[in-house]
Amino acid sequence: MYRIRFHGRGGQGMKTASRILGSAFFEAGYEVQDAPRYGAERRGAPIFAYVRAAREPINERGIIQRPDLVIVADDTLVAVPAAGVLAGVSARSVLLINSRDAAEVWRHRLNIDGPIVTLPVNTGVEDRAELPWIGASCAGAAARLVGVLPRQALVHAIETELGGLGDDVVGHNLENALAAWELMAPQYGLASEGGEPRAQEYQRPDWADLAFETARISAPTIYAAANSVEVRTGLWRTLRPVIDYSRCNRCWWVCSTFCPDGAISVDKDGQPRIDYDHCKGCMVCVAQCPPHAIAAVPEHQAQAEEAQPADIPGDPP
Amino acid sequence: MTQTATTFRRMKDLPSTHLLGTGTPMCAGCGGLEALHQIYDVLGEKTVFVNAAGCMTLLSVYPFTPFRGSWLYTAMASAPAGAQGIRDALDILREKKGLPPEEDLEVVVLTGDGAAYGMGLSATSGAMERDLDFIYICYDNEGYGNTGQQYSGATPHAARTATSKGAHGFAGYKKDLFSIWAAHRPTYVATVIGAEPLDLARKIETARDLEGPRLIIALAPCPTGWDYDPRESVAIGKLAVRTGVWPLKEYRDGRIQHTRVPRERVPVEEYLKKQGRFAHLFEPERDETLLQELQAKVDAYWDSVEVQGG
Amino acid sequence: MSRTLLTGNGAAAWGARLAQVDYIPAFPITPQTEIIETLAQWIDTERMDSRLVTLESEHSMITAAGGAAATGVRVFSATSSQGLLYAMEMLYTVAGWRTPFVLVNVSRGLAAPITLEADHNDVMAARDCGFLQLHCANCQEVLDNTLIAYRLAEDERVRLPVIVNLDGFYLSFTREPVVIPAAEQAAAFVGPFNPSSIHFRASAPESQAVAVLGGAPYSYFRYELHLAAQNALPVYDEISAEFRTRFGRDYPAVDSYCAGDAELVFVMLGSFATKARAAVDRLREAGWAIGLVQPRLLRPFPEQPLQQLLAGKRGVAVIDQNLSMGKGGVLHTELAAALYGHPDAPPVLASFIGGLGGRDISDEEFFEIARVLQAAVDTGQTPPPRLLYTQDELMEIRKLQAIAHVERKELGGTA
Repeated sequence: MYRIRFHGRGGQGMKTASRILGSAFFEAGYEVQDAPRYGAERRGAPIFAYVRAAREPINERGIIQRPDLVIVADDTLVAVPAAGVLAGVSARSVLLINSRDAAEVWRHRLNIDGPIVTLPVNTGVEDRAELPWIGASCAGAAARLVGVLPRQALVHAIETELGGLGDDVVGHNLENALAAWELMAPQYGLASEGGEPRAQEYQRPDWADLAFETARISAPTIYAAANSVEVRTGLWRTLRPVIDYSRCNRCWWVCSTFCPDGAISVDKDGQPRIDYDHCKGCMVCVAQCPPHAIAAVPEHQAQAEEAQPADIPGDPP
Repeated sequence: MTQTATTFRRMKDLPSTHLLGTGTPMCAGCGGLEALHQIYDVLGEKTVFVNAAGCMTLLSVYPFTPFRGSWLYTAMASAPAGAQGIRDALDILREKKGLPPEEDLEVVVLTGDGAAYGMGLSATSGAMERDLDFIYICYDNEGYGNTGQQYSGATPHAARTATSKGAHGFAGYKKDLFSIWAAHRPTYVATVIGAEPLDLARKIETARDLEGPRLIIALAPCPTGWDYDPRESVAIGKLAVRTGVWPLKEYRDGRIQHTRVPRERVPVEEYLKKQGRFAHLFEPERDETLLQELQAKVDAYWDSVEVQGG
Repeated sequence: MSRTLLTGNGAAAWGARLAQVDYIPAFPITPQTEIIETLAQWIDTERMDSRLVTLESEHSMITAAGGAAATGVRVFSATSSQGLLYAMEMLYTVAGWRTPFVLVNVSRGLAAPITLEADHNDVMAARDCGFLQLHCANCQEVLDNTLIAYRLAEDERVRLPVIVNLDGFYLSFTREPVVIPAAEQAAAFVGPFNPSSIHFRASAPESQAVAVLGGAPYSYFRYELHLAAQNALPVYDEISAEFRTRFGRDYPAVDSYCAGDAELVFVMLGSFATKARAAVDRLREAGWAIGLVQPRLLRPFPEQPLQQLLAGKRGVAVIDQNLSMGKGGVLHTELAAALYGHPDAPPVLASFIGGLGGRDISDEEFFEIARVLQAAVDTGQTPPPRLLYTQDELMEIRKLQAIAHVERKELGGTA
């Protein structure tokens, strides 16, 4: 059985990617499961979808624990633990990352032995939340990597899944999916089917004997104030608002009041400060700042610049 | 009508630090969260928020809460009844059990439009007829947003939603919840929007300082449900007011007063064309009939306001 | 000890009054309405220091009850039938909040067709929600169980809401002699309300009843709800023992009558169990070795006492006043699960459904149930479940159907 996981952000089309790949397998005569995994997370937040495909009826269900192939649509997610990109990845799992960085860089960065392939598409796109057609690219690349799907199955799958959205949408998706398909030609068949779990030897689940605990402990009650600040929603951000303090006129209420998340506060000198641990990157402040003192900088670029602190422009005086 | 002296005379009087915790799972650019964090700054932490099923149910997901005060999630239909139980219990504790006044809390219902305009309307009506001392905040994103924006009783005419994808969008009309609420003759009813923070702060301040049922509808521009770039949230909110689509008004002492009357209203299509949910009114060709109808509805509203002397 | 004639509804109201409840969210529904009318009158005439608020539905009523209990006051409420089902979402919800309060349910059959008279389908529908359930056989038990229920609900080892169930008409509107405990005695038994960990206060922010993401945290909270409900069994034994010491009335989790030397046993819940008791007397006079086993608790389900009381019996007849469509009697199913695999379990466990929508169960039917049970024991063949209904009743419905212009040729044989 093939077990394949797609990781992306809400809005990047991972559900579509999983459905295209699922349909392509189905077209090629496989039994298939494809499913997105929804949580409370929103646009920009890490999400995933998965595909199982086998020649026999599939009885396995739920989240894929031991993937044969992991596709990452947005390389900024790899470092986000909550995204779970590397969960269950073994030496035989293929990791496909949409990244401008080379596979060797990732191998070094992640210190893993398994095969890593990069898919350099949309590398020029600044806002990674807006990666166009990335779902199709991921599906096209995955289809080639498994090595058992004819090109025509991929084409049919895209026509089946997206036909309702019009010829234009189908055309763009086909173009991107097939471009990725071509790019993956050297790695044709790199991802192989994983085996089945063995009942002869297995790690026994360590079941706990749950004891009664008082309602104070065991009711779904939080005895804290504003501890949501421990959740780093800044990880959703693909664009970063950066204040040029030389242009900020210290009106001090516009960005701070309009920020939906309340992630901008004003210090005692009247300087607005953005809390990047929690800014989700909506860019409302950029759009509303009267003197246009806030710029939208791609997050990966901002992080790279942070690594060289001497160069940060517009640092507060 | 007596005008309460306000601490919010100018933009500079608005709070510069914020009480509501960051780190919530609301969408980037959420117009409802924008209104809520402004409201919370005025109401403060001596509050218990009573929530009904909707997007904001996810504000408190175990073990995290953004509230500095308290919170109770109830169910979709009955948050005002939960508020009744809490208010009554606090009164009983004050009267019989010596709960000191500084331990008392303002009880605040927080629901989306799905609960406010539909399933919870009966419970809200009951709370008003019992003259419950509470504040009700409805964040109105004009659809069942948490389930993917199906149309609700708050969806405007012609909007495309997940259950009105036809050529002309939603066939129904947005329910006039303000008037339904005001017909109960509660203490206070107001409309607000996060994009007009001074107006919002003054109204929440007014509500805070009154007693009895005080109900607020906050139009909540929704990048996910209305289909626009999140950065446009405030711009769209301002246009909702400047086009006259979202009248800012309040009901008090039996009278309705408009707090912002756009003298020269921007054409409604300026508001519509920024939102994907109305894209079918402009592409592939302009739907002149529908656009005129939508403009005419807004014009008729303001004509009637002017006749009444606003 | 002086006794007063009280209806079941009156006894429930007295229970609430003696428990010194602070808050009563209410909604009228037959046959429960007399309870809230009585309480309202006591409050209006200052014989009771409490606040009664009529909500606009039972769904809101239970929400308000949970909200008030979550704020830290003692709460009482009452409903019946359609009202209990209208509130069902909130029954599950407030149990999950771990709010301790008492809800009296006056059992009544469920629509459709709509009816006013008693059966247990309403309270059985609330079986899995997290409320504990005490079932009453007479008006005295209604009062006493209400007091016991507060102790059980508020105990730190439990902290769950409790339903006290009484049958519509047969108890709700029926007067019986009831001992009303002295107020001080009752107050000493119930004690003051202990809000424990739940309270909304400015100085101690709490977010209650928050959402969870994922099956593992959800499972923890649900498992703990179950463990708390199971804990209620030993706690109940403790509380009922104390009640016996203070008031002289004994309420074991499972009551029994002539069961010790019985070979055959009736199993019943609620007020009709006293009819079974009378039938046992008549059958004993006729030489039958028969008895009655009557659970007072349905949740938690008192498996162990039931296993012990029924061990070695030759045949058991479970008479259910409820019907799970497509399955049968709920109590029968639960008892079968409790007995399965026990070496001394009775070989015959027969099911009888009766008393739906206030339909009586006659003495003769009890005698016949005994006869059928004995025959099953003799042959070793458990009979199929019997839906109690007589040829006379069938004739009557045929007449009604004819008046209703049901096609005569479609009606069965006896028309």
